[in-house]
Amino acid sequence: MRLLIVEDDREAAQAMATGLSERGHECEQAHDGEAGLAAADGRKFDVMIVDRMMPRLDGVGMVGALRRRGDATPVLFLSALGEVHDRVTGLNAGGDDYLVKPYALAELIARVEALARRRDTGGVQTQLKVGDLEMDLIGRRVHRAGVEIDLQPREFQLLEFLMRHGGQSVTRTMLLEKVWEYHFDPQTNVIDVHISRLRAKIDKGFDKAMLQTVRGAGYRLEA
Amino acid sequence: MRLPRLLRTTSFRLTLLSLAVFAGAASAFLSYVYLATAGDVRNHADALVQHEVEGLERIYARGGVAALNQTIIERASMDRDQLYLLMKADGTPISGSIGASPIHNFSGHPTWATFQLTEAGAQGQSVTQAARGLEVQLSGGQLLFVGADVGEAEAYVGRVLHALWGAGALTILLGLLGGLVISRNASRNVAALVGVIDQGRAGDLAARAQVRGAGDEYDELALGLNDMMDRLERSIASIRHAGDAIAHDLRSPLTRLRARLEAAIIEADAGHTDPREALQQALEDTDGVLRTFSAVLSIARLEAATDPPGKTEFDAGALAQDVAELYAPVTEDKALELQVDAAPGLKLRGNREFISQAVANLLDNAAKYTPPGGAIRLAVRRRNSGDVEISVTDTGPGIEAADRERVVERFVRLENSRHQPGSGLGLSLVAAVARVHKGALEIDEGPGRLEGSGPGLRAALIFPPA
Repeated sequence: MRLLIVEDDREAAQAMATGLSERGHECEQAHDGEAGLAAADGRKFDVMIVDRMMPRLDGVGMVGALRRRGDATPVLFLSALGEVHDRVTGLNAGGDDYLVKPYALAELIARVEALARRRDTGGVQTQLKVGDLEMDLIGRRVHRAGVEIDLQPREFQLLEFLMRHGGQSVTRTMLLEKVWEYHFDPQTNVIDVHISRLRAKIDKGFDKAMLQTVRGAGYRLEA
Repeated sequence: MRLPRLLRTTSFRLTLLSLAVFAGAASAFLSYVYLATAGDVRNHADALVQHEVEGLERIYARGGVAALNQTIIERASMDRDQLYLLMKADGTPISGSIGASPIHNFSGHPTWATFQLTEAGAQGQSVTQAARGLEVQLSGGQLLFVGADVGEAEAYVGRVLHALWGAGALTILLGLLGGLVISRNASRNVAALVGVIDQGRAGDLAARAQVRGAGDEYDELALGLNDMMDRLERSIASIRHAGDAIAHDLRSPLTRLRARLEAAIIEADAGHTDPREALQQALEDTDGVLRTFSAVLSIARLEAATDPPGKTEFDAGALAQDVAELYAPVTEDKALELQVDAAPGLKLRGNREFISQAVANLLDNAAKYTPPGGAIRLAVRRRNSGDVEISVTDTGPGIEAADRERVVERFVRLENSRHQPGSGLGLSLVAAVARVHKGALEIDEGPGRLEGSGPGLRAALIFPPA
């Protein structure tokens, strides 16, 4: 993927670029909002990572300008402001996701990749399929290799999110934010317990374990 | 140049203003009294003289100078109060009871004069008295002066005037004195309050204003000031304590982190080990430190806020159900029974996320400290007061009554919780969430002792209804 990193802390930008390049992404950097706007002009990026607080033109101003000129590239905001209302301002300004500093690189990578994926599957889907796992979004039913799996409503939502990001790492924070819509840090790793329940339902009795744990990052549903 | 303090006070200025209004009213009143008494006496005396002059003029008109002269001689010889003098046009006396007119440069027009008249008294001594008269010119050119002894009337007027001046002076003096006393009092009260503020500014947060119990606005001000100082003292103390606690709590993991990194470098230099494991550990230590920082920051922000940000109205029962759903697998894994009793339709107004987090923290604590086989009950109900209560009750060991207040302070971890993971910030955050929503956190004993377990803990969040 082609990524644009707009961050005034050059060292942080470089660390991000290094981590993302390791994953095979191509990164360009800009160090303030105006430079970011200039870099985005007429070029195609898959995702932009934009710091909220920058000199000259801040992230909110830059993304606002970007959206006004019709650029719909997915934007991940980075910010030291982590309260819910800060997120709301960021998302209202045209951001697609919001990551609070300090973040784990694995979290950043997972979110960037999830954003790029979201753009690919813009249309309305009624059916999800990862490997031999199938989900009927209208009938709210799940089958693996033809065998119906009975899921609780929340388990269904959890699996739906994992299937929409099939093959990608998703972090615990992402699951908590997107499935439960909580933005706080539960002291116990409640997500792990939910995942192990889901795993017991979809993997038990099958040869291949699909729901895998990614060390230092989170989980991944493998075909 | 600055005026003396007392003269600069607002109350003194108000005193002066009211004094001015008062003095104006008093002088209007006294003027009226003067006109109604002394003025009237004077007018009456003047009217008598005028009448006499008119009478003499009629006699002159009928009988000429001779008749007038005759009348004046008659009247002057009688012991009357009036004074008479008939003069030729050049002022030479013709007849009368006084030797010369008190008016020296007569213009020809009727002229009034007030003068001192010296007469021989009954015992032969000379008596000086006030007199007043009118001089006119007759058609034949002669001058006629008629006066009256106004000594008694003037003395009366004098007494009235004297009394009026005295009353005026007394009024102003009393007003001024009263004003001084009132403003002295007021500024003493204000000075005491200013003193407390100055002490506070100088860093003495223990200073408190004296409340006199009069229930007046100074007492209200003093109570408000004392309350403000209480809050200030508490928050400064809390910041100091948090600072110490953060230093203490972060120093150990940071020291550990540093040591681990240093050791990893030495080991790697010597080619003994792969530094990856040490780096992994260091990363986890760093995450722990950062989590503590975030929690402290959240609490500090909540404590600094006067109103929860991002307020919405939501159903308290639905919120509790959602959080319980998140924790259900955790309690199940630990063989704990989780029961949710949520009364429907109880609305809360506040920050849904913060309240969810508070309830999550309470459930997390309950799940952590309740031994397997125990039970946790999450209940949402309306209190008789109308407040909405979200409570978490468990059958764990509970918290000693003496520790219940302390446990919500930051970084306080009771002895039996040392082996459990946690920052010691969970309940502080719950308390801060309650406070910013103008609610409260109550910590009590749970259901009691039963078959070796308990007495349990009951933590209740109480919010005012939406």
